[in-house]
Amino acid sequence: MEIEDIIQKVWPRVRRKHLYPQLPLPNVIEGGEDVALEIKSKQLSISSAFYQSLKGKMDGEEIVEAVLDHGITHYMYCPWDFHTHISLYNEAKKVVKQKDQAQKATTYFMDVVTDTYCVKERDTKLATLYRNLPTTGVHKVLTALYEKIWGEDLGNGEHEELVNRLSRIPYLERKRWGESIKKFTKVIQDLLEEEWENEHQRSPGESNPNPMGEHSLENYSLEEIDRGLREFAGAVEDLQEFKETVDDLKVELEEKGYGTGGMGRGKGNPIDANLLYYMKLAESYTLPLRQLPIEKRGFLHPHAHRPWEIGKPFADIDVWTSFGKIMPGMTQMWTKREGETHGEYEGTPDCLIIIDSSGSMINPRERLSYAVLGAACACNAYLKHESRAAVYNFSDALRGNKIVLDFNHAKEHIYQALCRYFGGGTALDLDDITYLLSCADNPDIFIITDMQITNLEKLIDFFNHIENRVTAVHLGHNVHATRFKDGTVKKKNISLFNVKNKEDIPKIVLGKVKEYMTSSLKWS
Amino acid sequence: MKNPFEAFHHAGTRKREIPLDTILKSKEETLSKILTGYEDLLKNEAKDLVWLMQYSTVIKAYSIAEKGMEGIEYTAEDIEEFCYALDHSDQIPYLITGPAGVYISALCNHAQEEEIRLQLRDLNVKINLLGYRLPSNKQLIVEGNVGDFTGIGLDGGELIIEGSGKNYTGAGMKQGKIVVRHNLGFNTGHGMTGGELMVGGRIKGLGKIVGGKVYEKDQLIFPNEGIKPFYF
Repeated sequence: MEIEDIIQKVWPRVRRKHLYPQLPLPNVIEGGEDVALEIKSKQLSISSAFYQSLKGKMDGEEIVEAVLDHGITHYMYCPWDFHTHISLYNEAKKVVKQKDQAQKATTYFMDVVTDTYCVKERDTKLATLYRNLPTTGVHKVLTALYEKIWGEDLGNGEHEELVNRLSRIPYLERKRWGESIKKFTKVIQDLLEEEWENEHQRSPGESNPNPMGEHSLENYSLEEIDRGLREFAGAVEDLQEFKETVDDLKVELEEKGYGTGGMGRGKGNPIDANLLYYMKLAESYTLPLRQLPIEKRGFLHPHAHRPWEIGKPFADIDVWTSFGKIMPGMTQMWTKREGETHGEYEGTPDCLIIIDSSGSMINPRERLSYAVLGAACACNAYLKHESRAAVYNFSDALRGNKIVLDFNHAKEHIYQALCRYFGGGTALDLDDITYLLSCADNPDIFIITDMQITNLEKLIDFFNHIENRVTAVHLGHNVHATRFKDGTVKKKNISLFNVKNKEDIPKIVLGKVKEYMTSSLKWS
Repeated sequence: MKNPFEAFHHAGTRKREIPLDTILKSKEETLSKILTGYEDLLKNEAKDLVWLMQYSTVIKAYSIAEKGMEGIEYTAEDIEEFCYALDHSDQIPYLITGPAGVYISALCNHAQEEEIRLQLRDLNVKINLLGYRLPSNKQLIVEGNVGDFTGIGLDGGELIIEGSGKNYTGAGMKQGKIVVRHNLGFNTGHGMTGGELMVGGRIKGLGKIVGGKVYEKDQLIFPNEGIKPFYF
């Protein structure tokens, strides 16, 4: 029987066994005989050369079933999604510090988890498959590990010390995968280095691939990658961790067409890991979408028929359904009703973000800056409502340490302006703000600063003469903040927030944005 | 009525017990016994409120540790797991590096293996007193840095530290060998009467040494013309 026929025969059984995963029928590729499986997006492809090379050693159906068991379990159990994959890679990288080795370690770990899960939870022929696979290097150790933890004779009982250590890892405890992959990588670290050196000495055609296929970004769609990065940004301890991992995957991400400009076809913009971090984090702070209001249209339209009676207006008679006759009870007339339709927003104003990037603020490219994150959340909210955002990023603006970004919809440019760090003194150039305010109709203003501004008096005076809604968020308590508060106390359009925990900034900003947006009707 | 989910009922699942389950279960049990022994030691030591590093205190703690671990079957990997449990786990409310070191030393000294390798590079704390009384048939290799009083009272074993140690390393050692790949602190070899102490990096200061040999970067620095044996 040909491999295609075997797949057709085995697939319903395998699907049933794995509780009907939403995967297309696997296909056959003319791959090498060293690699059994290729996974691209959700398509599993079995190498015919691999199948032919094993055909003499075990039953054809068993080969296909075992390979499919392995492939499907990657979707159904480990890694499950891109976030898990990238998190495992991140943990492995903490141990080996080398991209290729961390990728290999992640692949091996996911294979061990997947296969062990299959052997424990499903009726599978994976053990028979591994018995017949040629083993070298790390694969030899892994086969010895399988022998020990599955209780199957796979003809490989070496590497006792390594296997003893590896067999103590709780592979099937999902919550402990982070800690487990670190232990796993630590144990096989020497082997990974050896393998890496050998790979570099070999010519390109002589590589020693993983028989069950490699795991890369090819396995995921752009949407899965986008979601995974968002979850990963929220899960990592700091910006540097995110940056390091994204920089490692930069080439693959760009090849896949993923850029900070968002998802889409074609080659994306070069990825700036810092911008991506704030973008993904800001996406996890959500604002409820406003529903379009339902409005009466103010005029009547024919709605249903009813019999015409004497005394009712002739104008409402529907001649088409009355057969041209005027006869009470038979003639049909229209009853009319006032129409309802979705109304329109009154329009959300544009927003101007004034952000302090002086030396007393956190550099957003080194550590997570909640000031920048808060500003990013506000921008996101306004951009989603099709309004524009402008950025005034300042340090010592009078000496040129400033960015004046005009009102626009380009998210990437806005984030670039927000993430710029000057680290100098703190002074505003009010002419710039006057210019920006003149470019839009009554924009909302968000100012995020620690208030230690050299020309604070001028700023207070300026805010006292404008009627825009101003949200001032200041970090820490100081005399300047008190002065600002006292100076603007009479202005009802200025809200001042003294933030004790920086983590609260995004929520404060979003709370204010929500308030502005729900009251924009009254405002305009 | 036909069950619409009948097709899913036992579809391909078998949930069999595999040796991994047994290994993990036994590992958890062993760790729990080791932790109980350690907690007993802490309870005894807590009576003194402050754990003073005195010779009598260490001897007493060691004998309590030996009693606490009686009857536990463990391997070198279990000792390593215990070290990480001390460091990370919320099972142990407090880590006192002195008693912890005495307890780990007792575990190493009574382990079945002759060669024990502890990979402690990721530990946040530096454990004191590792290698205390290491007997002559044992080799203890520690990957990572260690704390004060490492290898004190060494009794013929070989202690290899793949990192740096702190003060009083090898104090009171009688025989055996301590190899430290990187640096050591003050009072190194204080009161040692025999054995060899070899340091790949630098020693901040020697203690009052009675006997034995001390090497720094392959150079014999004790005994030599400048530093004579001290007689208590």
